[in-house]
Amino acid sequence: MAKKEKNKIKLAIYWGAACGGCCVSILDVHEKLFDIVAAADLVFWPIALDFKYKDVENMPDKDIDVTLFNGAVRNSENEHMANLLREKTKILVAYGSCSHLGGIPGLANFSNREEIFKRVYETTESTVNPEKITPQTKYKVAEGELSLPEFYNDVRTLDQVVDVDYFIPGCPPQSERLMEVFTAIVSGAELPPKGSVLGALDKSQCDECPREKSENKLIKEFKRPFEIEDDGKTCFLEQGVICMGPATRGGCGVRCIEGNAPCRGCYGPPTSVSDPGAKMMSAIATIIDENEPEAIEKVIDSIEDPAGTFYRFSVPSSIIRRNIETSEKKAEQAVV
Amino acid sequence: MEEIRIGVYICWCGTNISRMVDVEDVARELSEMPGVVISKDYKYMCSDPGQALIIKDIKEHKLNRVVVSACSPRIHELTFRKALENAGLNPYMFQMANIREQVSWVHDDREKATKKAKALVAAAINRVKWHESLDKRTVSINPSTLVIGGGIAGITAALELADTGSPVYLIEKTTELGGNMAKIDLTFPYLNSARQIIQEKIERTEHHPNIHIFKNTVVDEIFGYIGNFNSIIGQNGSEIDLKFGNIVVATGLKPFDPSGLENYGYGKFPDVITSLEFEKKLLSGNILTNEGKDPENVVIIHCVGSRNRSEHEYCSRTCCMTALKYANQLRSAIPDANIYQAYADMRAFGKGCEELYTSTSRKGIMFLMFDQQNDLPVIKKAEPGDSCNMLIEMNEKLSGEKIEIPADMVILMVGLEAHEDAKKISHTVGISLDGNSFFMEKHPKLDPVATTTSGVYVVGNCQAPKDIPDTITQAKAATARIMGTIKQGEVEVEVITAVVNEDICCGCQTCIQVCPYTAITYDVVKGVSVVNEAICKGCGTCGSACPTGAIRSRHFTDNQILSQIKGLLSKSLELKEV
Repeated sequence: MAKKEKNKIKLAIYWGAACGGCCVSILDVHEKLFDIVAAADLVFWPIALDFKYKDVENMPDKDIDVTLFNGAVRNSENEHMANLLREKTKILVAYGSCSHLGGIPGLANFSNREEIFKRVYETTESTVNPEKITPQTKYKVAEGELSLPEFYNDVRTLDQVVDVDYFIPGCPPQSERLMEVFTAIVSGAELPPKGSVLGALDKSQCDECPREKSENKLIKEFKRPFEIEDDGKTCFLEQGVICMGPATRGGCGVRCIEGNAPCRGCYGPPTSVSDPGAKMMSAIATIIDENEPEAIEKVIDSIEDPAGTFYRFSVPSSIIRRNIETSEKKAEQAVV
Repeated sequence: MEEIRIGVYICWCGTNISRMVDVEDVARELSEMPGVVISKDYKYMCSDPGQALIIKDIKEHKLNRVVVSACSPRIHELTFRKALENAGLNPYMFQMANIREQVSWVHDDREKATKKAKALVAAAINRVKWHESLDKRTVSINPSTLVIGGGIAGITAALELADTGSPVYLIEKTTELGGNMAKIDLTFPYLNSARQIIQEKIERTEHHPNIHIFKNTVVDEIFGYIGNFNSIIGQNGSEIDLKFGNIVVATGLKPFDPSGLENYGYGKFPDVITSLEFEKKLLSGNILTNEGKDPENVVIIHCVGSRNRSEHEYCSRTCCMTALKYANQLRSAIPDANIYQAYADMRAFGKGCEELYTSTSRKGIMFLMFDQQNDLPVIKKAEPGDSCNMLIEMNEKLSGEKIEIPADMVILMVGLEAHEDAKKISHTVGISLDGNSFFMEKHPKLDPVATTTSGVYVVGNCQAPKDIPDTITQAKAATARIMGTIKQGEVEVEVITAVVNEDICCGCQTCIQVCPYTAITYDVVKGVSVVNEAICKGCGTCGSACPTGAIRSRHFTDNQILSQIKGLLSKSLELKEV
C-alpha cells in the first residue's frame, strides 16, 4: 500500500452480493486508473489487492474518505461489512444496481431461503446430494470450528441496511460517469445534497434515445426482441417490445438501445418515480389496444416473465419488496 | 417548509356514526399522530356550529390542514372546503374520511368498526400532509349553443335558448325536424294531437332568426372545451366552422325491432304490426286489416322487447299508456270491436295516467295478464273454420287458465332502444354510455341533465326512455343551466387537473392516446407533452400512464396516494386479528 501522500483521498471499494462486474467497471476506466491512484489511495479493494477484514477493523472511524459499495446485502457477511464500512467512511456510495436497488440478486425476493436451498442443493439437474446437505453457519472439524456467513431469507439494498450518502446507478455504472463523479469528489467541488443519484440524468432514457417516437403506442401483442424484425429506428414499445426506457433514468448513453436491445432498467427510476416496475406496468396497461376483459388478458399473457421484465433490477427497493405469501414464516425468522 | 398543523374532526352524524363507531376514542387516538394539533368530535360537523368550530380553530390554532371524518365526500366535501375558504385557507388543504357509508352503515361490530374508522382517518391525516393549494380558474363562454337532434327535445332546447337572444345551431341528421313525436297521432293521457303541438314548434324553429338549422347533417368531430367548442360541419359541399360554448345532445332513440321474437310472428303474419305502424294507420284515418277490413278482434301486446333479460331489461316507460291510448282510439273508431290488452304489469304513474287507466277499463276493454319473464303469449295462424285470422295462446295469470284469444290485428307495443350511432355520438361529444347505450348523466339524482364533460348536456330519450312532458322538462332544465353560464360570461373549470413537468417529460407520448378528453398534445419543438388544462377533467389516466412520472395529477399525486395507503396500513395492522 502506498504511503498516504498529502491531498490524496482514501478510497475503498467493496462488494456485497454482486457478480464482480461493478469492480471490473472500475478497471474499465483503463489508463484513467492512473489518474485515480494519483488522486486516491486505495485502502481496501479485495478484488484487486490483498486485504483482510482486520485491516478495515483497525482503521479509525471515518478514516476512509469514499467507499464505493457494490452488491446487495443478502448474507451476514454483506451486512457486517456494510456496517463496518459505514463506520469507517465519510462518504458511502451505493455503487451499481444491486447496491442501489437490489439488482439481479434481488430477484431472489420472489422466492425464499428454503426454496433457494432446495433448488441449489437438491434439485438442480447436476446436483447429487442424497444426504441433503445444506450450508451450515458453523461446523466443527478436528482443527476447530469453521464458520460461514448466514444466508438471509431477504435481499436488501445498501440503504435498507445503513445510511447511504450517494447512489451511482447501473449494471454496471458507465465508467465515464464514474470518472466524472470521482473527479468532482477529489476536486473538492460542492457535492449535491445527500441521497442524490450521481452520474445520471434526471430525465428518462427516452430523452437520450435516438429512436423515432410517436403517439402510436397501441399494442395488441407483446413480443420478445427476437420475435420482431427491428427496423432499428422505431421506438421499441411501438413495435410491441417492452422497453423499460421510459421509466428508467437516463445517463448510460442508451447503450442497450444503441445495441438494438430494449432498455432493461438498470439505471433505476427517474427522480419523479418511486417504483419503476409499478410505473411501467401502469403505463403498459394503458396502451393495450383491447376493450374486452378476455382480449386484454390475452395481451397481458403475451408478456413473457413480467416480474423479470418490470422488476429486473428493483425488487427489494420496490413497494412490493418481496414475495410474502411463500415466506411469511421464514421472513419472521430471518434477520430483517 | 411551513410546519404542518392539522385539525381533525370526527363527526357523530347524530347516532348515524356514533352508534357503531366510538367517535371519542377515534378523536383521542388520532390526536397522537404527528402533525395533528387538535382532534375533536362533534354531533354534526356539517351544521353551521360544526363549520364555525372548524373556522374558529383554524384561526386560533393556526391550522393549515383539516381532516373531517364524517359521511361521503360526495355529500359534504364542498361544504367543508367552503368552510376552509371562509377561514382564509385554501379549500384543497382538506381531506375527508368517510366513516358513515364505509363504516357505520355497513358494519355491525362496534369494536372492529372503530378500528376501521381509525385506519381511514389515519390515511386522511397522512394524505393531507401532502396537499397543496390549488387556485380557481375560469374560462369565457361563447353564447352560441350546438343542439344535436331535431326532435321535441332538441327543438324545445333550441327555442328556449333562441328566445333569450342566444344563437343556436340545430343539427338534424334526417331531412325533417320533429323526430318521433311527428310520427304519432295523439298524446297520452289527455289524447291531444301530437301533430298540432309539434307542428307549431317546428314552424317557429324554422323561422326563428337566432336558430340556424342544418338538416341532413351529422357532427363528426367536436374540439375544445366548455365555453369554447368548435366543429366543422359539411353543408352542401362546403364546410362551415361553428363555434359554440355549450352542447345539448338530444338524439332520441328508436323503436325495438320485434322481427327476432318468433312467438309474435312479426313479419310472418301481415296483421301483426308494431305500435309505430299502428300510429301510421291512425294518422291516415283508416284502421284496416291487411285485407282492407275493419278488425273485429284487436289484441294489444305489451312489453315487446322490454323488461326481459334476453332483449332489454329496462322498462320503456311510454308503452303502457300508449296502449291505453290505442284502446280508446279503437273503441271510438270501431265501437263493436273486441279489444284486448295482453299486459305484464300496468304501469300508470305520472299525472293523469292512472285516471286514463281507470277510464279505459270502463270501456269494455279486456285486460289479460301474462308472465313477461317466463311465459310469453304465442301467436298462431287460426284454423280455416275459425272466424278470425290468428289465435293468441297465453297463460292468463290472474285466472290461472290457459286461454286462446281470437285476433284479426295484433299491435306489438315495441320498446324503445338507443340508436346504433349512440357510441359514435358519445365519442364525438366526449360523454359516457350506460349499459343500455343511453347517455350517462352526471348524477342520476343531483345532476340529471349535465354530463361529466362540462358544457355538454343530455336531454330527452337519448338519456333514457321517457314521455313528452319529461322530455320537455329536461330540455328546459338544460337550457336554464346553459343560460346561467352565458349570463355569467365565464365559468369555473376543474382545478384538479394533470400537469406535465417539462423538465422530466421525455416525449414518449404514451399519455396522448389514453386521454379520454383529447386534452394532451405533443409539442414538437420542446419535445414534451402538453396538457390543455381547460379540457382536462383530472381523471388521472395520463398520470398512471406516464412512465417517467412527469405527469402529476393535481390532488392525486403519487405521494398523496402512497402516504394515504401507508396511513391506512399503519392502523390496519391492528385489524389483522379481526
